[in-house]
Amino acid sequence: MIATREAYGNALVRIGAVDRRVCVFDADTKNSTFAIKFFQKYPERAFECYIAEQNMVGVAVGFAARGKVPFASSFACFLTRAYDFIRMAGISRANLKLCGSHAGVSIGEDGPSQMGLEDIAMMRAVPESVVLYPCDAVSTEKLVEQMALRRGICYLRTSRPKTPVIYDNEEDFPIGGAKVLRQSANDKVTVVAAGVTVFEALKAADVLQKEGIGITVIDAYSVKPLARDAILAAARRTNNTVLTVEDHYIEGGLGDAVAGELCNEGVRVYKLGVTEIPHSGKPEELLAKYRIDTAAIVHLVKELVK
Amino acid sequence: MHSIASTTAAGSGHPTSCLSAAELVAALFFYHMRYDPKNPQYHNNDRFILSKGHAAPLLYAAWAEAGFIPPSELLNLRKLTSDLEGHPTPRLPFVDVATGSLGQGLSAGVGMALCARLDNLDYRVYVLLGDGECAEGAVWEAVAMAGRLKLSNLIAIVDVNRLGQSEATAVGHNIEVYQKRFEAFGWRTELIDGHDLEEILEVLDAAGLGDQPLAIIAKTIKGAGVSFLADKDGWHGKPLSKEEAERAIAELQPKACSAEGITIPEPNRLPPPRKYCSSLLSARFL
Repeated sequence: MIATREAYGNALVRIGAVDRRVCVFDADTKNSTFAIKFFQKYPERAFECYIAEQNMVGVAVGFAARGKVPFASSFACFLTRAYDFIRMAGISRANLKLCGSHAGVSIGEDGPSQMGLEDIAMMRAVPESVVLYPCDAVSTEKLVEQMALRRGICYLRTSRPKTPVIYDNEEDFPIGGAKVLRQSANDKVTVVAAGVTVFEALKAADVLQKEGIGITVIDAYSVKPLARDAILAAARRTNNTVLTVEDHYIEGGLGDAVAGELCNEGVRVYKLGVTEIPHSGKPEELLAKYRIDTAAIVHLVKELVK
Repeated sequence: MHSIASTTAAGSGHPTSCLSAAELVAALFFYHMRYDPKNPQYHNNDRFILSKGHAAPLLYAAWAEAGFIPPSELLNLRKLTSDLEGHPTPRLPFVDVATGSLGQGLSAGVGMALCARLDNLDYRVYVLLGDGECAEGAVWEAVAMAGRLKLSNLIAIVDVNRLGQSEATAVGHNIEVYQKRFEAFGWRTELIDGHDLEEILEVLDAAGLGDQPLAIIAKTIKGAGVSFLADKDGWHGKPLSKEEAERAIAELQPKACSAEGITIPEPNRLPPPRKYCSSLLSARFL
């Protein structure tokens, strides 16, 4: 078990060793985002910007303009404060890499002010942006590499809780890809998840299998560009029925990305996401209360196959 | 004059915001900054960021006078077929970052000045700010960081023309207010008359000295040099009619001189930054 945010820090150190262009910025959250690992290893290329996210993004854009590959991180929720800077970075086509940690209700006890729940919507809306949301340490590390190699604005969404490692070190995670984690001949619904909800979907698949209901589970780690063809192909095998589940507000996130891509293909997309202002609590309690957990997926799948 | 002619040809734009900074930009581009006008992306060129992006016609005029774009192109300002857009974007090779959303240029300038330090290059970064945008909190985030890191290769020039879009700024022409704010964050400051070329050049000569960033706070007149525009509210973002433009240019003409024959100081030819870790590269050859 390792948190994706920690994998982010490990990846920075690894690519920082090879590529001198990599510089890292944080807004006094480096011990939470794990950017601190790079700060300790390469202090000359790490810049503490303190609690001033707008300026941090602006400074990183300045680095990008000078040929560097700047990675700037904070809690996902606090990057929203810098959105005008990010919007302008989009117009500059800046080679900017952002990482928002502590995404979603799965952060738990700290409460709604600390939960990034609109960050996917925000970052998807930037022209030419890449939005990545890995579920485990391996995919996170591979995607940080992809971010460094890709020109343009890339956003990585990481999570607070530790999650199981489900991928082999040998697997590739191209931008624009997805992983089909469960699939069998008689699946009834294609469940598209990302980040922490991948594990809820996998558990739901186990529960449903015992009751004789098969579901396809897809890890849509690349929210933008989305693996449209892979999801559509899966949907075709499940009577064009897709269920998305995400730890993000229901507007503008993974569900809307999937629905937007498939709406002209005769595919029905049902969305599970956070629909109200969340409360403090334990992560698992919150996933249940806001209906993005295993039970919510099982319940909705059963409704859909009735 | 280019700014007036181009905004009149475009039928929109901010000529008065260009006039307040005309001498400042002329001093930077033709007497002070070290850059290769044929190669705006040369790695050791001094960088110029027009944080007050609405004065874009002035920036374009400077690069036309420097010989990088043909002066006739200026009349295509704001057209779909020209990259001389209403506010600067990096579609133009001499624009490093898009500006026009106010209060953002200085942060990018801090980043570039830090990069120069990291790469052992001696280019300096000049950021031209409007006084209106100094109401943005993010400007002071950038000022604080530059002061903390003692970025002596960063020079902010504030064009204090007193007038915003809809009314006068809160600070007006009280330039000492800006001075106190910058100094509180560890900057060295110079207060000048932004239309006095000699005064501008004198303070620019000492740019880069010491271990503090430098803020040049220039008292200016919006619409300077044109009797019916100067210091008058209600002209922000308005182009002149053809007839008004002719009158304005007639008033400006006697004092104007072209940059022809002026030698722009060259940047030092220093090696470009390394991209990959030398120890790993050499390890590969073992």
